[in-house]
Amino acid sequence: MLPSCWVPTFRRMTNPLAVDVIGVTKSFGSICAVDDISVQVAAGEVYGVLGPNGAGKTTLLRMLFGLIRPDTGTIRVFDKTWDEAGVGVLEGVAGFIESPKFYPYLTGRQNLEGLTLLDGGIRPGLLEEILDVVDLADRIDRKVGGYSYGMRQRLGVAASLLREPMLLVLDEPANGLDPAGIRDMRALVKRLAGSGLTVLLSSHDMDEVEEICDNVTILDRGAVAFHGTIAELRTMAPDPGHVLSTTDDERALVIGAHHPTVTVTRDPEAALVVTGPRTEVSAYVAALVRADVDLLGFTATRTPLEALFFMLTDTTSANGSGRHTDRLQEALR
Amino acid sequence: MTATQAAPLTREAPAQAPRRHPGLGAALRFEVRKLRAQYRAWAVLLGAVLAPIPIVVIIHGQSRPPKDTLFGRFATDNGFALTLLVLGFATQWLLPLLTAIVAGDVFASEDQHGTWKTVLTRSTSRARIFWAKTLTAGGFAVLLLVLLAASTIVSSLLIVGSQPLIGLSGQTIAAGTALKLVTASWASTLAPTLGFTCLAILLSVWSRNPAVGIAAPVVLGMVMGLVGGLGGIEAIRSLLLTTPFEAWHGLLTQPRFTGPLVDGLLVCGAWSVLSLGAAFLMHRRRDITGG
Repeated sequence: MLPSCWVPTFRRMTNPLAVDVIGVTKSFGSICAVDDISVQVAAGEVYGVLGPNGAGKTTLLRMLFGLIRPDTGTIRVFDKTWDEAGVGVLEGVAGFIESPKFYPYLTGRQNLEGLTLLDGGIRPGLLEEILDVVDLADRIDRKVGGYSYGMRQRLGVAASLLREPMLLVLDEPANGLDPAGIRDMRALVKRLAGSGLTVLLSSHDMDEVEEICDNVTILDRGAVAFHGTIAELRTMAPDPGHVLSTTDDERALVIGAHHPTVTVTRDPEAALVVTGPRTEVSAYVAALVRADVDLLGFTATRTPLEALFFMLTDTTSANGSGRHTDRLQEALR
Repeated sequence: MTATQAAPLTREAPAQAPRRHPGLGAALRFEVRKLRAQYRAWAVLLGAVLAPIPIVVIIHGQSRPPKDTLFGRFATDNGFALTLLVLGFATQWLLPLLTAIVAGDVFASEDQHGTWKTVLTRSTSRARIFWAKTLTAGGFAVLLLVLLAASTIVSSLLIVGSQPLIGLSGQTIAAGTALKLVTASWASTLAPTLGFTCLAILLSVWSRNPAVGIAAPVVLGMVMGLVGGLGGIEAIRSLLLTTPFEAWHGLLTQPRFTGPLVDGLLVCGAWSVLSLGAAFLMHRRRDITGG
């Protein structure tokens, strides 16, 4: 478990924009991984980049770190571009792309000390402080080859914090973690965000982004499908859906017909699906009870934002993101 | 796991305080640390020190000397001849292999471990990381050759003896001069060994596969050796990276000639510059999509 009482103080930003991506495009062969994307992240903001696998999130973040060169467009980080400043663009920037990777034949400490060499050194005592933060102090002298996935993830966070960043870029940080690890990772990201750090968080988990982020860009097949605040996203969200199971589904359907703002349909698995405004759905359920239709089950299908995410990204379409992902992965090989 | 309270990471520095920019030395230190932590590197160095000893003992104990090889006729009872016999064998494929074990792996292992994204998202440029890796591989090659040469010369002289050497023109070379010439002969293989180091680096960067980076230089060396043995291709032969491995022959003739040594230096220099130039451009321009 990550400690809950640690409150870091990071350098505050003076520039208005931490990240300014303008019209960036990147193709791998015939596959367009990122298509004319523009993203602006203000200093101090917690910004989410959301999208299904293959949407272009990781490619975008790799371009930000200079790991991939964009075909067209400009990426400015704290008002510097790679062409102007080279690796100096990464001053004040840290994070990891996908799962963090380290040298398995080195200990965790040797890995971190080696990376600090590449950073030009750190102030005394910082390493030990950060090891306490990520709760790795007692295992840091073991070889990384023996680390669990969660430990490597925390070592990745430690490697990032060693740079005392102003901008922290995290690509699906909770990916592959167990529920406790996910909870701890989210808590850490929230605390870091609360400390004034700018956080750029990539995820395919709507809940995670909704919980942490102020603004969000949703990508689908390399293009921007939505850009705005979480509040704006909520206003676009469809009515919540519920799966309803009763002792008499036929009567439930008939009763549903008397509630015009509620839609009751039968799904392929013989249950009923109810959608509509929350108050109207409540009234419909009360009507079922009054009509002696017993409820056997009543569960939410997905949150409104999840439903909107799926609508925007068309992930259920057989011709949609899945095929794009396969083609992109093939191109990267 | 227990929650631990850590001191706040307070920072007195002003906003966007400039970070110290690491130089080539910092990247080089990290590369050397990584190399020192690898058993394979230690095993190669240990092998370079220990393997010549049983080889010398075995050849010294043979009743029939290997007459069909250079200096083989005298190898069983002359320490200098035995040293040169081992040198001739080492240049066939051993030196390209030993140097490629590190040079062929030094870039590709980052792909294998997925760590390019780890090191290239710090404050050290791709160029500095490239040169740090290249210097590490080159330094390893030099150390390897020094250890192999020293172990072979010392063990040969101690086990077989330091009798005067019969040169390639049939002349007798006094022990003191022979020691200098044998040492110079081993030293002359440094340039082609470094040439193979650079070739292995190129293959490591290009293939992104440690197995290819290590094996391909050896295979290419063997092919060059075969091509060099063919008749009627003198112009091509002088351009092969394996030809300078034989340049030391001129040191042991009467009169001595050093033309092949100079030509070999130029050829090895050209191979090294071209290999490193191509590797550098590939390294600078590649997209890191894996890991």
